[in-house]
Amino acid sequence: MTTEHNVLGRSLPRVDALDKVTGRATYAADVYLPDMLMCKVLTSPRSHARIVSMDTSKAEQVPGVRAVITGNDFPDRYFGSGAVRDRRIMARDEVFYIGEPVAAVAADDEVTAQEALELVEVEYEDLETIVDPLEAIREGSTLVHPDMPNFEGYGFAMGGNNCTLLDADRGDVDQAFRDANQVFEETYHSQAINQGFLEPMACAANVEANGRLTVWASTQGPYQVRAQLASVLDIPLSSIKVNAMELGGGFGAKLRLAFEAFPALLAMKTGRPVKLINTREEVFTLNGPRLATTIHLKTGVTSDGQITAREAHSVFDVGAYLGAGPNAGVGHALGAYDIPNFRLRSYGVYTNKIYVGSYRASGVADMHFAVESHMDSIAHQIGLDPLEFRLKNVVKEGDANVSGASVPANGLLETIEAVKEKMSLPRKSEEGRGIGISLGEWRSGSGPSTASISVNEDGTVSLLTGSVDISGSDTSLAQIAAETLGVELDQVIVAKRDTDMAPFTGPSGGSRIVYSQGKAVQMAAEDARDRLVGLAAERFGVPSEALSCEGGRVYVQDNPPQSLTLSQLAAASLTSRSGPIIGMAALSSMPYAPVFNTQAAEVIVDKATGQVRVTRFVQAQDVGVAINPMGVEGQLEGGAVQGIGRALSEEMQIDPETGRVRNPSLSTYLMPLAIDMPAIENILVGVPSADGPFGARAVAEPPGFGPPAAIANAIYDAVGIRIKELPLSADRVLAALQGQDGDEYHIDVEALKKAETG
Amino acid sequence: MKRHLNLTVNSEPRQILVEPYYSLLDMLRDELHLTGTKKGCDEGDCGACTVLLNGVPVTSCLVLAHSAHDAEVTTVEGLATREGLHPVQQAFAEYGGLQCGFCTPGLIMSAVGLLEKNFDPTEEEVRYAIGGNLCRCTGYTKVVQAIMAAAEQARP
Amino acid sequence: MARFEYLEAHTVRQALSMYRRHAPNVRYVAGSTDFLIRSRMGNWNPEYVVNIQHIPALQRTSFSRRNGLRLGALTTVQTLQDHESVQTHYPALAAAAASFAGVQVRNLATVGGNICNASPAGDTLPALLAFNAQCLSTGPEQGEQRSTALDEFFTGPGRTVLEPGELLTEIRLPRPEPNTGSLYIKHSPRGAMDIATVGVASAVTLAADRRTCKDVRIGLGAVAPTPIRAYAAEGILRGNEITPESLAACAEEARNTASPIDDVRGSAVYRKEIVGVLTLRTLERAVEMARDGTMAFETQRRLAVQAAF
Repeated sequence: MTTEHNVLGRSLPRVDALDKVTGRATYAADVYLPDMLMCKVLTSPRSHARIVSMDTSKAEQVPGVRAVITGNDFPDRYFGSGAVRDRRIMARDEVFYIGEPVAAVAADDEVTAQEALELVEVEYEDLETIVDPLEAIREGSTLVHPDMPNFEGYGFAMGGNNCTLLDADRGDVDQAFRDANQVFEETYHSQAINQGFLEPMACAANVEANGRLTVWASTQGPYQVRAQLASVLDIPLSSIKVNAMELGGGFGAKLRLAFEAFPALLAMKTGRPVKLINTREEVFTLNGPRLATTIHLKTGVTSDGQITAREAHSVFDVGAYLGAGPNAGVGHALGAYDIPNFRLRSYGVYTNKIYVGSYRASGVADMHFAVESHMDSIAHQIGLDPLEFRLKNVVKEGDANVSGASVPANGLLETIEAVKEKMSLPRKSEEGRGIGISLGEWRSGSGPSTASISVNEDGTVSLLTGSVDISGSDTSLAQIAAETLGVELDQVIVAKRDTDMAPFTGPSGGSRIVYSQGKAVQMAAEDARDRLVGLAAERFGVPSEALSCEGGRVYVQDNPPQSLTLSQLAAASLTSRSGPIIGMAALSSMPYAPVFNTQAAEVIVDKATGQVRVTRFVQAQDVGVAINPMGVEGQLEGGAVQGIGRALSEEMQIDPETGRVRNPSLSTYLMPLAIDMPAIENILVGVPSADGPFGARAVAEPPGFGPPAAIANAIYDAVGIRIKELPLSADRVLAALQGQDGDEYHIDVEALKKAETG
Repeated sequence: MKRHLNLTVNSEPRQILVEPYYSLLDMLRDELHLTGTKKGCDEGDCGACTVLLNGVPVTSCLVLAHSAHDAEVTTVEGLATREGLHPVQQAFAEYGGLQCGFCTPGLIMSAVGLLEKNFDPTEEEVRYAIGGNLCRCTGYTKVVQAIMAAAEQARP
Repeated sequence: MARFEYLEAHTVRQALSMYRRHAPNVRYVAGSTDFLIRSRMGNWNPEYVVNIQHIPALQRTSFSRRNGLRLGALTTVQTLQDHESVQTHYPALAAAAASFAGVQVRNLATVGGNICNASPAGDTLPALLAFNAQCLSTGPEQGEQRSTALDEFFTGPGRTVLEPGELLTEIRLPRPEPNTGSLYIKHSPRGAMDIATVGVASAVTLAADRRTCKDVRIGLGAVAPTPIRAYAAEGILRGNEITPESLAACAEEARNTASPIDDVRGSAVYRKEIVGVLTLRTLERAVEMARDGTMAFETQRRLAVQAAF
C-alpha cells in the first residue's frame, strides 16, 4: 500500500517497546506496596452442592493470617458478566461447579495464606449434577438453576437449563429447502478452550486515607471492573479507582470483573494493601474459558451450486453462569455468503462446570469452523472446486447482511484472489499433502469512545484515552494523533491511565479500539488542530482555510515561511482568548464496517500416526488502511497461530461426570510453540472503510477464525477424510483414517423446533 | 527461616536473606523486586521466567534460590548497558517481536542464550532454541525474524 | 506450597549423612525440575531437602572405546545432547535428550533425576534401556555400592529399587559395538515441551554381512507402568536377516508388549497403535545408520522431536 502520509502507514516500533524489552513494563503482579498482604482463594471441590456449614476459625488463628472472608461477608446480591444476573462473587449457600470460590484469606505471605486455606472447614451436601449440554437442553433434565426465571436479565429462552436464545430469520426457509436440488445436513463440534494469556490474572487493592479504594488490575475493561466491583461490594462507583496495569494478554478473558473483589474486601477489612496472583492452575479452573459448542447446519443448494437456504441450530455450553454472552455466533452462520433464506438459532445451556467467558469472538470462531467446513464438504459432494463454490455465493457490495444492513464496499474478493495467487490454487498436491481454505467475516467493533489531546508548550502532544492497550493499539492511536496533527510519533506522549484520570470508554475487545477509539482520537486531534490553526489565523490575520498544520508547524499555504511552530502556538495559547490547546471527542457508536479475510493452510498428514503438520499458512485480510503495518501483521500472525492451536492441539478436557478440568496446566493444555509453526505469510488488502480513522478497519478477531476449517479442509484434500470435531488431534485423525465414524454429537433439531412452536 | 544467600545478579554481588523453600524466581521478584522476570506458570512450562544462570538459560521457577549461591544470574534488567540496548532487545523492538510483552523477557533471555552458543543460527535452530517459550500474541513469526536479525547484527 | 529446610551436600558421604540425620522426612534434589512443581502441588512434603547438585564427583562424564560411557548422575540432559561421544556412539540417547522439554529445563534436569523419578514417559529412559545402562548407587548406611541394570531398576510408576536414602551416583553404558545404529522417536502433539505420548528407542547391531541382525535392543516409553524393554520383539529380529517383513514382525510384537493406559495425553488404544509405528520407524532408521555409519545430528533431532515426518 502506498501512502502520502507521514506517520500513518509506517511500521514504527511500538511506543511501549523499550519498556517491554527492558523488563520495566509494570503488570499487576509487579505491584509491591509497603505492608502488603497476599490473598489466596479456597474453591469448591464439589460439582454441585449445598454448603451446610463453614468454619474459618482455625484458619484465622494461623500466625500471619490477617483476615478470612466467605460469601457471607459480601452484600447479598447477584451480578452478571453476561446478559443475566445469575452469579454471586463468592458462593453463599450453594456451589455450582468445581473451582467456585468459597473463601479467601489475606496473610503476610502466600505460603501462609495457602496453609490457612487448608484449615477452612466446609461441609457440603451433594446435589444432582449435569455436565453434558446436549443432555442439559433436553426437557426434564436435571436443573442447574431452578430459580433461573427469577434472574434479573433473563429474557427470551426456552427455560429448563436454556438461559439464552438468539434467533435470526429471513424468507421462507422450508419452501427454499423443498425447492433446492440438494440439501446437506452436518453437525460440527468445537471443544472447550482456554484463552491462554501468558500473564495469570492478578490484582491488588488498597484503601486510601480518604477511604477510597484503589485497585491495580489486569484488565481489558477498567470501567467495567469499576462498575461491577461497586455493585458486588455495594459501594459507590465513584469511591473506586481502577489502575489498568500493563496487560499480559487477555483475548477476552479480562473484559470483566474477575477476582478484584477478594483483595478489595480483604483490604477494607485489614486496612492493608492486598494482592492476589492466580496460579496457572487457577487460570484454568477459576476464570471463564470458551466452552464447547455443537452446531447443526442444513443447507439447500441448486444444481448450479447456488445456496438457497440455511438453517443453523447451535447449542453452546454456558457452564454454571453466563459469564459472557449471549453467544452471537449464530449471526455468523451465513458466513461470508449471500443466502436469501435462513433460520438461525443459538441456545445457551447451563451445566455444572466452570462458567463460560469471552475469547477472541467466542461463538463466532466456532461457527466459522462449522460453516467453512460445511462449505468445503458441500463443494466436494456436488463436484465443484471449493473455491469456485465459495465464489458463486460470496456476499457482495449492496447485498443484505444477516441483520438486513447493506454491505458496503469491501475487499473480500481481493483477499480471495490474493490467496489464490500466492498458493497457486487450485492445485492438487501429492498424497498426504493438502491445501484447505476458509473465508472469514467480522465487523469493526463499536461502542463508547473518548479521547483528549493537549498540546504542550514544547510542541509535543499528550494523548489521553481510557482504553487499555491489548494489541499495540496505543501505538496506532498515537500514529493517528501524530498524523492528524502533523508531528512525529515520538512527539506523542501516551498517558498511562486510570479511571479517575481518563473519561469513560468501552472495554478493549471485539476489535474496536483502532476503529472506534481511533476515530475518537482522530476527532480529538482534529479539534486540537482546528484550535491551533485558529490561533495562528488570528496571529497572521488570514482565514483558517489558508493555513496547513504539518511538520510541527502551522503555515500559510501560499507562503510557507510564514509559520508558527506548535511550540510557539502552545506557548501563545496560554495567554490567548481561548486558552490552552486541548482537543476532545466522544462518540457512542460507529457505523457497520465489515472485515473479510481469506486463509489457506497447507498440511502434511502422517497417515500412520494421524499427526498433522501445518507447513504453510497464508492469509489475506481487508484491513482498510494499515495504520502500522508491522502491528497489523503481528495481529494477523498471532491470531492465525491461536487458531492453529485451536485446530490441532488445544483442548480443555472436562470430566464428563463431574465437570472438573482435567488438564489445568501448560504441560497438558497444549498451545503452539515456535518449533511447530510455519512462518505466517500475510497479504494486507486495503479497501478503506467509509468511517474508520483514515479508512482503517478492525484487524484482530478474524485471523483466529479460519485455521480450524482451513486445516480440516486441507486434511480432506490430503487424505480424503472429513473431521467434524475439534481438535484435529492425531488420535482423532488416525481413527478417521481407519474408518471410524467420529460423529459423536447430535442435536435433536426437531425437538428444539417443537419446543419453539410450543 | 530465612538464610543468607550470596550470588551475583546482573554483575552486582548481592547478599540476600531468602527463605529456604524459595525459588530463584521468587527471590528475584519478591526480594530484589526485579520484576522483569515473569511468573507465567511456576511449573517450567512457559519460559517467561527464563534467566541466564552461569551463562545458560534456565527456568528460574524451577531453581531453588539457595542452590544458586555463588552463581552469576543475568535477568532481562541486566542486558542493556549505558551504551544502549542489547542487540536482541533492539531487534525485538524494531521487528515487532513483542506484543503484550509478558513473555518477552523470557524470550529475549532464551535468544541471548542461543546467540552465546551459536552466532549463526538457521531459522529452524532459532525455533528450536525458543521451543521452551510460549508466546500467545505474536505467532512467533516476528520473534524469529527479530532473533535472526539480532544474530546478523551481532556477528563479527 | 510447602516449607522445608535447605541443606547442601558437597560430597556423597555428606549427602548420605545428612539423609541419615533427618530421615525419613528428607529428599534429595538435583536439578529440582520436578521437585519444586510437586512441592507446590503438595505431593512431596519433605521437612528437609538435601541438594546434591553441587557434588563435583557426580558431575563427571567420560568415554572410552574400551569402557564405554560413564555419566555422573548429575550430567544434565543438555550435556547429553551436546556431548560429542554421546552423539557419535549413542545417538539415540543424544536424540532423546534433544527431544526433552526445552533448553531451559535441559540445562537443569539431570540424567540421574530422570532415572530416579521413574516416570514411564521419561525421555532418556528408553534410550538408556536400549544401551543396556547400569546404575551405580550408594547405600545410606555404610556407603555400600551396588550396580543394577536399568532394566531392573524400575518397580512401578515413580518407584525404583533404591532403598530410602540410597543415592544414584553413576550411569554406565557398555562400550559401543561396531555396525550399530540407534534412534529415539517420541510421539507428542508438539515438537517440544511435551511429555511423550509414546517414546521408542531402538539400537540395532548388524553382523559382518550387514544383512543379519546381530543384536537389537528396543526400549519403550509411556506404554507400561515403567519404561520397558521389548524383549519378545527383539527375539524376533536377533540372529535373523533384516527384511521389511522381519522388521514389521518385530514392530508388531513390540506393539503386543505394550500395555498402555488412558490419560490426558492419549488413549490406550492410540498409544498401542503408535508404538508399533514408532518401533518400525526407529528400527528402519537404526538399520540405515548401522549400514551407512552416520546420520547428521540435526536430522536425528528433527526425527526425534517432530514425530518422524
